[in-house]
Amino acid sequence: MPNNVVELHDISRVYEMGEEPLYALKQLTLSIEDGDYVAIMGTSGSGKSTLMNLIGCLDRPTEGRYLLNHKDVFHLSDDELAAIRNTTIGFVFQQFNLLSSMTAIENVMLPLVYAGVDKEQRTIRAQFALQQVGLEQRMYHRPTQLSGGQQQRVSIARAIVNKPRILLADEPTGALDSHTAEEIMALFDDLVEQGITVILVTHDGEVANRASRIVRMRDGQITSDSRIRSKNEK
Amino acid sequence: MGFRELINIAWQGILSNKLRSSLTVLGIVIGIASVITLMGIGEGAKKEAEKQVQSLGVNLIYVRPGAASTASISQGQGTAPTLTYEDAKAIKDTCPSVDEVAAQYQSSFQVQHGEYNTSTTVLGTEPAYPEVRNFHPARGRFFTADDMKDATRVCAIGDTVREDLFPDESAIGKQILIRGELFQVIGVMEKKGANQMTDMDDQIFIPITTGYSTLFGLNTVTGQAVKMVLARAKDGQDLQAQFQITNLLRLRHGIKSPDQDDFQIRTQMDIMQTAQSITGVFSLLLGATAGISLVVGGIGIMNIMLVSVTERTREIGIRKAIGAKFGDILWQFVLEAIILSVTGGLLGIALGMLGSDWIGRFANWTCIVTPYSVILAFAVSFGIGLFFGIYPARKAALLDPIVALRTE
Ligand SMILES: Nc1ncnc2c1ncn2[C@@H]1O[C@H](COP(=O)(O)OP(=O)(O)OP(=O)(O)O)[C@@H](O)[C@H]1O
Ligand SMILES: [Mg+2]
Repeated sequence: MPNNVVELHDISRVYEMGEEPLYALKQLTLSIEDGDYVAIMGTSGSGKSTLMNLIGCLDRPTEGRYLLNHKDVFHLSDDELAAIRNTTIGFVFQQFNLLSSMTAIENVMLPLVYAGVDKEQRTIRAQFALQQVGLEQRMYHRPTQLSGGQQQRVSIARAIVNKPRILLADEPTGALDSHTAEEIMALFDDLVEQGITVILVTHDGEVANRASRIVRMRDGQITSDSRIRSKNEK
Repeated sequence: MGFRELINIAWQGILSNKLRSSLTVLGIVIGIASVITLMGIGEGAKKEAEKQVQSLGVNLIYVRPGAASTASISQGQGTAPTLTYEDAKAIKDTCPSVDEVAAQYQSSFQVQHGEYNTSTTVLGTEPAYPEVRNFHPARGRFFTADDMKDATRVCAIGDTVREDLFPDESAIGKQILIRGELFQVIGVMEKKGANQMTDMDDQIFIPITTGYSTLFGLNTVTGQAVKMVLARAKDGQDLQAQFQITNLLRLRHGIKSPDQDDFQIRTQMDIMQTAQSITGVFSLLLGATAGISLVVGGIGIMNIMLVSVTERTREIGIRKAIGAKFGDILWQFVLEAIILSVTGGLLGIALGMLGSDWIGRFANWTCIVTPYSVILAFAVSFGIGLFFGIYPARKAALLDPIVALRTE
């Protein structure tokens, strides 16, 4: 009996634009096992980001049921969702989304601030997370003083600093060259090995092939779902 | 999340855009400083007016002939003066709360000394006058009760008159001609300046008894008419004195109950109140001007805050995406607003006090900063910070994380 951390049942996300409602996701059903490594692919506009935002509790579905860790998130308040984003989920954005007025370590500490961790603990844990992504030399740089790859590593450090169950990454290598992308992917391999469930969106077949499972989408629906290696296989 | 943590976040927010923050503070500083300074000017005017009124003498009661109300034409009192020297004497003798009395009658005359001559007011009065008016001879003396009794031809002259008649010699002991009558100068009054229409220095003071027998003559109806009786009440007995004088005069003039007085009484208090109500209006105007500048400043702050929320939508989205709750964002912005307005408030108070000091020093105007205006200004700046901070802050905190993240 697999342990599903994410379970989506008949999920739809509708945007009311003009006369016709636009279905970004259409009755989509998807389960993701704990510790799995899933790549989501699909043409532009197929609903990948919409799906990620729903899984990441940044958005709510129009219809359908979403069980996160076996719990229905439908009834959760905004503040409860915020708490989930803070502790259960780490999100890595294509555009990094770092706060430019803060140093790398301050950015990484921010989720811990909102989690109510005291300053000493925060520093230790943020330093550790930055070490994990290989940025211990750049802790006091601001985002503008870092390369794209380094910024993405800071944002990964920020995503993992609170030890989330699930790491979501929407085209994390989209803005990076292939060599830097390779470094980032190696980082994800490490995280999967540590038991974190990783879900990433990519256009790059090579990147997708590092995952254990590839889900393809089109027009808000899943068109294919293939496991390319067993969950724990390297 | 602890309060110190929130303060920290707010402080970082302030530092992250120093220009915006300083503009906000500047807006508040100007508003507060102008409130304090303008209110200080108003307060100074009030004190100045009080001082001037007080300098006329304390506890003074002015009794003048004629009905108090111009509406009482039907009273048929005629035009004859109704207040006499006898009335003044009666007030002095019978009103227990009255301590000094100086009746006065004045008229304009041509005066002459040698080749110099001028036209001035000759004021017949009593020896208590300097005391009651708080207006004393600088040299020589004022006339005495003996001068009154004998109706001697002596006079004390004001400083302007002395300048006109004795430009280069001492006046004391000299003879002057008032409408052809000889008077001896026995005193020169101190300089007092103008007050309430009259130039106090452009007067000559003679015993009122001498006045009746020489210059003023007698009124056909009332005999020794007076134009005003100045009475000084004993300390704290202004009201009693006023009451006693009214009763006495009504009795003496045979005025029965429903009829109106044929004299009017004004106290120093009345005059002070009039002066205060005038300066009160002045203060109110200044206060209103200042208040408007505060409100305008407040709206400016709200604008900056609103722009700041819009500018920082992405930041808010990021914070929410990594777990900031509604309250966290709300407090961040509210605290930013409060910190800015309190800083602005304190700086504004300092600048306002400095400004008042400068006005006091260089514009020669008493500018009084009252604790009340400081507290008011501070409370208002705090209130503005809170009030104009909350709306944008709430707007920020309510943003949907995904919408906020998508904004550029
Ligand atoms: N806020 C929105 N309002 C209206 N329509 C939206 C909104 N966000 C997404 N959509 C629409 O939903 C559909 C799916 O968008 P989504 O961003 O999920 O696509 P995607 O698969 O991530 O594409 P890409 O690969 O280009 O990032 C698109 O047709 C898009 O136009
Ligand atoms: Mg996308």
